[in-house]
Amino acid sequence: MVVPAAAQQSATPKQPAAGQLGESARQYALDIGQFPPYKPARMPDGHPDLNGNWQAMVSADWDLQDHDAQSGPKPEINGVYGAGPAGQSIVEGGEIPYRPEALAKKKRNFEMRATVDVSNDKTWHDLGDPELKCYMPGVPRANYLPYPFRIVQGGDASSPYMLISYEFASATRIIRMNWKETAPVPSWMGWSRGHWEGDTLVVDVSGFREETWFDRAGDYHSDELHVVERYTPVSPYHLMYEATIEDPKVFTRPWKIRFPLYRRMEQDFQLLEFKCEPFTEEMLYGRFGKKPAP
Amino acid sequence: MKPTGNKLGVGAAVAAGLMLFWMGAIVPASAHHAFAAEYDAKKHVVLKGTVTKMEWINPHAWIHIDVKKPDGNLEEWMIEFGTPNTLLRRGFTHDSLKPGTEITVDGYQSKDGALRANGRDVTLPDGKKLFAGSPVADAPYKDPDK
Amino acid sequence: MTCRPLTILGIPATVIAFGSLSLLVGQNSPTGNDSAPAPQKKTATTAATSQAVPTAKPNGFRTSWGDPDLQGVWNDATSTPLQRPNGVANKEVLSEEEAEQFQAQTAGRLSRDRRDGDAQVDVNRAYNEHWMDSRRLKVTADHRTSLIVDPPDGKIPPLVPISAERQKMLNERGAEVGRFNAGMPNNYRDFDLAVRCVIRTDVPPYMPIIYNNDLQIVQSPGYVVIAPEMIHSARIIPVDGRPHINKHLLLWLGDSRGHWEGNTLVVETTNFRPDSNIFQDADPKTLHLTERFTRVDAKTINYEYTVEDPHTWTHPWTVRIPWTRIDPGEQMYEYACHEDNYDVSHFLQGARERERRGEVVQPIPELPLNEPLK
Repeated sequence: MVVPAAAQQSATPKQPAAGQLGESARQYALDIGQFPPYKPARMPDGHPDLNGNWQAMVSADWDLQDHDAQSGPKPEINGVYGAGPAGQSIVEGGEIPYRPEALAKKKRNFEMRATVDVSNDKTWHDLGDPELKCYMPGVPRANYLPYPFRIVQGGDASSPYMLISYEFASATRIIRMNWKETAPVPSWMGWSRGHWEGDTLVVDVSGFREETWFDRAGDYHSDELHVVERYTPVSPYHLMYEATIEDPKVFTRPWKIRFPLYRRMEQDFQLLEFKCEPFTEEMLYGRFGKKPAP
Repeated sequence: MKPTGNKLGVGAAVAAGLMLFWMGAIVPASAHHAFAAEYDAKKHVVLKGTVTKMEWINPHAWIHIDVKKPDGNLEEWMIEFGTPNTLLRRGFTHDSLKPGTEITVDGYQSKDGALRANGRDVTLPDGKKLFAGSPVADAPYKDPDK
Repeated sequence: MTCRPLTILGIPATVIAFGSLSLLVGQNSPTGNDSAPAPQKKTATTAATSQAVPTAKPNGFRTSWGDPDLQGVWNDATSTPLQRPNGVANKEVLSEEEAEQFQAQTAGRLSRDRRDGDAQVDVNRAYNEHWMDSRRLKVTADHRTSLIVDPPDGKIPPLVPISAERQKMLNERGAEVGRFNAGMPNNYRDFDLAVRCVIRTDVPPYMPIIYNNDLQIVQSPGYVVIAPEMIHSARIIPVDGRPHINKHLLLWLGDSRGHWEGNTLVVETTNFRPDSNIFQDADPKTLHLTERFTRVDAKTINYEYTVEDPHTWTHPWTVRIPWTRIDPGEQMYEYACHEDNYDVSHFLQGARERERRGEVVQPIPELPLNEPLK
């Protein structure tokens, strides 16, 4: 493009060509979610320092896939307090690849998500979103609940463990580093074994209780769930989180989710408690209480 | 100086003193789910049945058994046990008791008459006691103190 | 002085066990400590220092960033009683032979495999010893006669009269316990926080009970994190000197702040919710809890805590419990609780069923127990 001679001598910066951003390119890249190259701060053992208080900003807990705003259960009581926002899918490719025959259970889960019945042990887990009941959320759901969690990383040979403490239900995960043994028994938060691949913490999680859900839309899995997480620092304030989910009983192939985790930057921030069990007792057990005499 | 007096005499005297002592101190009154609150000491049961399911869960593990009654009917009982975490650390895994295994359970039935009991003793057909420090099938027993 | 009912997990089985020690009176104790009883009024610091394990010089246990290393999976079970039994007078420490005898007697008394006594006692011994923490039948390695190290008589100091409000709360709780013991709870509020799976042994200060006496410590720069097995919570303790949270924020586990004194982590905890399990039912507004963690050797942490509450005791008291490292051979496992808490449903539905049948059941204030906890 030919620049007029008068414009060349002016004090204003050069105008970029149409379609080119020039100086604004860096800001635009941030605006569309691209992180510039980053070299993380390191622990004494040389690995990136993932210590901190982290939280997701996506609304994936409502629905991993694309979702409109919704009224939530019992809007006649809860109004906006029970409603959820719209959100874009965090699933790579957009859709979760269910086996056709497995979709019926997802539908039923969603329909019964706000219904509970613990009167019979045999059907204790049949109804209701486990999140509604304050059951431990499992992995990866714990990472995209709208509550903070803390990653605790030491890296000493004396303690081959990392720990993640979730505010929700005070759920805790021990990540056993470079560990051979697999889960001796199924657990709600799974059995986590970690190792480093370059600057990425890779966590292999298996041995899950089958009763956890992925979201409030009823997305679920079987006891064969296997999750591989990847935590990569991409800025001083963000981790990029990816998880590959595999469950041949429910899905036709493995699938991935991806979203950033944000560092909580409030001054003197600390996890508080969200011990939600007392919020569920009337709902679960109220019906079994002694009725007052008429 | 060697104190005298027989053990029993001293023990009894001190025991009385101890009772007085404890009246003035803080003593926990809650049993935190003591079995005696839920299960009936007057309803001792001996159940012979086949394991249908093992729930290896907290706060209590449960073993489900089908008990054959004299009239030929099957009764489904569930037996309450402790935390599986202790057994895991002893080397007993949740595969160690398989469905189909015949066991005899000695325990106390639930006060409300439900087909539930707490497990006091569990014996295998060969007379070996389950959950009693000896290995079951190929599960090695691990004593953490050795 | 009224006997105040208590519904916490604070006191281990050991309080019942101490009666056995009376049988040791009359034994020779060449290594016993026969010092005269100390005066009643004693400051916490003086006693704690005089009793503390000396760790003046830096030891070899350091994290890669230079903090003392407390990391690992630790077990705190023991049969040593909280309070020194009357039978041993002022003997703080037992001889090797006495300790062996006491350990055997206590193990015999506490063992769930006992078959003596009637059905009423037997029903509460279920399941059996195999399901219990085997280390709970062992006395501490230093053979002390009590976990309390101050006051020097090894006993909880005298109680002071409590407010009418606190007594009312305890009476209400006593009524709940009575209904619970009879198997006739009115509703879920008649269960204590442990049965409801809100908190268990994760509320400080830590005391051992019958099982899952495991705590995992993971450290990072500026933090020490303690994760007890029950109920799967993690206590995040900043050691960077920041102040406590605002006094209006109250927590089930309180708010903890730590700092290092030589090799010892010193933790102060405040901001307890009044409806949490406050240690020994002290007054959460005036309770002052200080814990000290010292790595003694590869396998041992010396855990001490001092409690002070002028609204509850005449003076402070200090407890010392050794922790033993159990990993990697043994691990801590997830203790999910609320998720599969069938008991609450069984208990409540069972009570309603018995009422339907017309059963009239008297509350039972106290059950005949081998030890207070299951």
